[in-house]
Amino acid sequence: MSAGNDPAQRVAIGISFGNSYSSIAFTSGEGKAEVIANEDGDRQIPSILSYVEGEELHGGQAKGQLIRNSKNTVAYFRDFLGQEFKNIDPTPCHQSAHPIQNKSSIAFQIRDTEAEDQNTVSVSEITTRHLKRLRNSASDYLGKTVNAAVVTVPTNFSNTQKSALNKAAKDAGIEVLQFINEPVAAVLAYDARPQAQLADKIVVVADLGGTRSDIAVIASRGGIYTILATVHDYEVSGIQLDQVLMDYFAKEFIKKHKSGGDPRENDRSLAKLKLESEAVKKSLSIGTTANFSVESLAGGIDFTATINRTRYELLASKHFAAFTRLVAHAVEKAQLDPLDVTEIILAGGNSNSPKIASTITNAFPGATVVLAPSTSPTAINPSELSVRGAAIQASLIQEFELEDIEQSTHPMVTVTPHLSHAVGVLCISGDETSGVFHPIVDAETPLPVRRTALITTPREGGNVLIKLAEGARHIKVTKPEPKPKKEKEEKDDDDDDDEDSDEDESEEGEELREKTWKVSNVLSEAALRGLKKGSKVEVQINISADLNANCIFREVGGKGGVRGLLSGSKVTQNGSA
Amino acid sequence: MASVQISLPLPVLPEGWSCEKDFKAIGHLSQTNDRNIEPVGPHFLAHARRKRHRRTFSEDDR
Ligand SMILES: Nc1ncnc2c1ncn2[C@@H]1O[C@H](COP(=O)(O)OP(=O)(O)OP(=O)(O)O)[C@@H](O)[C@H]1O
Ligand SMILES: [Mg+2]
Repeated sequence: MSAGNDPAQRVAIGISFGNSYSSIAFTSGEGKAEVIANEDGDRQIPSILSYVEGEELHGGQAKGQLIRNSKNTVAYFRDFLGQEFKNIDPTPCHQSAHPIQNKSSIAFQIRDTEAEDQNTVSVSEITTRHLKRLRNSASDYLGKTVNAAVVTVPTNFSNTQKSALNKAAKDAGIEVLQFINEPVAAVLAYDARPQAQLADKIVVVADLGGTRSDIAVIASRGGIYTILATVHDYEVSGIQLDQVLMDYFAKEFIKKHKSGGDPRENDRSLAKLKLESEAVKKSLSIGTTANFSVESLAGGIDFTATINRTRYELLASKHFAAFTRLVAHAVEKAQLDPLDVTEIILAGGNSNSPKIASTITNAFPGATVVLAPSTSPTAINPSELSVRGAAIQASLIQEFELEDIEQSTHPMVTVTPHLSHAVGVLCISGDETSGVFHPIVDAETPLPVRRTALITTPREGGNVLIKLAEGARHIKVTKPEPKPKKEKEEKDDDDDDDEDSDEDESEEGEELREKTWKVSNVLSEAALRGLKKGSKVEVQINISADLNANCIFREVGGKGGVRGLLSGSKVTQNGSA
Repeated sequence: MASVQISLPLPVLPEGWSCEKDFKAIGHLSQTNDRNIEPVGPHFLAHARRKRHRRTFSEDDR
């Protein structure tokens, strides 16, 4: 690809560009990511453009036009980029400008000038105009002209979609330094915090956006990230949650004002209902009650009502449960167990809802940490995770030549052998059947890798055996004592209700599930002699990409030590995942 | 990365265990799976640098 602009002249930001909202952020001199508010004071800027007598409105102002000027208001277009008309789902655009086929791509027919005629504006052009507005807001804030960005995309964004976005950005005066995956940006946003500690962990990023849900299971190994599985769903979405409230308030309205009609049956009423319902949903993330208030909702009647959080959570519970199932499904798809999940990062605007966090927390083992505003006081705003990650990545690479960035992101560099088993040491007993395996390097760790372990020694010191082995993670299930059963058959035909089946389980007593290890392959034995009382042994394992392992065993603070070399199996490598 | 801390003690060396240089290789590491690592974050950049310049961890440390 092209040589790109001079890195010295770059002013780079992070951009998250969603179907519903976009955000911009930059990294300060101290390495801290900051999300930029636009002229309206918004950090979550609706990805919407609207035209009134040739004037272009953007963001929140454009969103307001959905009521009076919906035909000239363009929304929910990100996923149309680089797509063919026959492959898109236009449903989210029902209450705004409709996408149409335009040669091999997609466009909107809108009146975007003072003239009476409509123009056909391609999704690429719309995107360019949107990105220009974001770029201008960032430039105004920073006091210098932004000309480059790292942009986040969903993990299933194709190369065609990326090049369409790349072109639209270029036309907006933005050099895209790199596209990064949204869930990876979220992990980076957390890992870049000063208090973060590097650890090997399995992280699930669960993103509940406006039009879609995206789940990613990520192995994080020494700060390097590998996506193990992803799940995407366009049915479970913020729009569905808004709909729950729209239906609720519409019914309340009809109950009170029979003459007013159903506000869902008139375009303008529907638009008002929708905007206010989304606002109520957001209020319920913080408060336990919220007011719904719309002037002239339908039939010229003003309507106000209140709803409490509990009611909303009840009405939306099936959507929360569906989202939780997606998360569980993704873990399964990665061939992992819930017990393997160290952390769940809740992302996407709807993850501000406390009930989403609590539903997921209840579905996972107690040891799994759920990072959301309601479960962790130090959680990062779920709406800002992507853009923060993008801004951090931008600061890391902005001084590189574009060619260097492209080389580093090439499969030659990124496709990497990963360990299929954990490598660790046998403790207490040298016998594989009774010794306890403790991993030092986890499975799914990319090579090369270097890891060090500090291991306790027997109370009296002396001579120890250090046995390295490969271990396979095993889930040990302990069934509770069977209770005398009665009336079981009668309940069996009714298992479509989640709550019911939960109760069944607790009646039987819950089975106990634990993570244990089985030694699958003994690698080596080493001896360290004459250890002092209370001393520790350091084991360093250095595994190269061709599976040769260099091991060093020594007494901490002692002299000398033992070295050993392990060679990889001579079998050819497995296919990729 | 910080060291892995293991608080269970190592076993005592069995009587009569002996081996040249006190190390005995027994098995091989199992075959690996090729996967794509995400080109994101400071640790990836260090990885890419090592890979492109064919450097090892300890050469990188210097
Ligand atoms: N504080 C909040 N509480 C509850 N929901 C919120 C809150 N803030 C935003 N949302 C909801 O989050 C959704 C937008 O999420 P996000 O900003 O992640 O969108 P996006 O990435 O543009 O989504 P997509 O591409 O899926 O449409 C909307 O449904 C919005 O109503
Ligand atoms: Mg999103």
